[in-house]
Amino acid sequence: MQDPRLRLLAAVVLSLAAFASTTGAVAVLVWWLIFTPRTKVLPRLGVFLPLIAMIVATALLSAWGGGAGLSYLIRMLALLLLAAWTYAGTEDGEVLAVAVWALGNRVGFEIGLIAEMGLTSLAVLRQEIEQMRVAMALKGIRPGARSIVPLAVTLIVTQIRRSDEIARLLVVRGYAIGGRICPRFSADPRDIPAFLTAIIPGVLSCLPLRDVFILVG
Amino acid sequence: MRVDLEDLLFSRGPFSLRGSGTFEEGVHLVSGPVGSGKSTLALLLAKLLLPESGAVRQHNVSSALLLLQFPEHQITCPTVAEEIRSWGLAPEDVLAQADLLRRGDDDPFHLSRGELKRLVLACTLMRNPDLLMLDEPFSSLDCTAKRKACRMIEERKEGITIIFSHERAVLPRVDALWEMEAGSLTACGSVPGAIPRWRHAPPYLRYALDEGARPENIRLADAREALCRIRG
Repeated sequence: MQDPRLRLLAAVVLSLAAFASTTGAVAVLVWWLIFTPRTKVLPRLGVFLPLIAMIVATALLSAWGGGAGLSYLIRMLALLLLAAWTYAGTEDGEVLAVAVWALGNRVGFEIGLIAEMGLTSLAVLRQEIEQMRVAMALKGIRPGARSIVPLAVTLIVTQIRRSDEIARLLVVRGYAIGGRICPRFSADPRDIPAFLTAIIPGVLSCLPLRDVFILVG
Repeated sequence: MRVDLEDLLFSRGPFSLRGSGTFEEGVHLVSGPVGSGKSTLALLLAKLLLPESGAVRQHNVSSALLLLQFPEHQITCPTVAEEIRSWGLAPEDVLAQADLLRRGDDDPFHLSRGELKRLVLACTLMRNPDLLMLDEPFSSLDCTAKRKACRMIEERKEGITIIFSHERAVLPRVDALWEMEAGSLTACGSVPGAIPRWRHAPPYLRYALDEGARPENIRLADAREALCRIRG
């Protein structure tokens, strides 16, 4: 999807559908298979597989304890794939442009700026994890349970410090509240059908399907 | 103990790095302007990057360590003392060596860039590996700290030390000179024979050479001594 407005709105509708019910999540998975470039939007295996492993482990634990493990697995998988698709398709400045388009130059700019900074932080975080992996390799430290806590603390502290530095930088540059941009969006003819189809999982997740089938029967 | 570079080729976008040669025991200085490929070569030697073709072969090297150009990239722990322990070293010794006594409980990121560089440099040197690669070890340091770093490098009696630096004021005594320019590595040879061929020679050394002096090594003191010898 080229139009970021439709892409982000579709992502919201599909996320709600996947979160609301297993049926909605299955419909989202079908939508993902049809309307996204599939494997091309996935992160590299080193990032993706541990996430999948965590979800599977939690689902197994839930099922073992008598919970809805399978439902959890399907819904989280759908959410993860949606997140990967949205993240891969989002370019710098798009979220800010959509937020300003939707909510104006004051509130929209604020929300959009925060979202943009959050997305940038994800990229920086990924870079920092890679740097730490190199640092650990140089020191001869093997990644494991013992090294995870200090690493996580260092990463979190670094992120907080960076946020503080960015906030100070904005103040130094005279930023107070809001801003003015004139967002422009490009679209693809396939955007509308893809977005309209994304509503189906949303509807399916809200409908009590059993009642529908009884009525039809 | 030696490290061989066998027709090394590495490319990234429009930049490509090529080099061949052997790093024997002793101190090697790889000089060159910023952006010439020194850090990339350091990463290739440390096997943190893989070459497109050719190979880096280490012979009888049981331990290797690279000091990264940016000291923040080497930090993995939330306090200075823990950071030193993560290198397998005793905090007291390193803190004394890095002139950071009573800073053990500080957050490493609260140190200044120079202090952090001193800390990481001290950790790297005190680990004393067979192959020590120092990427810009003098950047962010004041003259006193640079001279101390030079002394610590010179005190290494064994092993291979490779310094990648564009520093042109405070340098340690070295055994061999290399030049990196636009991704191409050239061996100038052993010191002192290589000094006249060294295109990135610092101004004081160039002046001594122009005056007809023949310095024994590349330090300012060596240039002064050589000038004194010819002037009587």
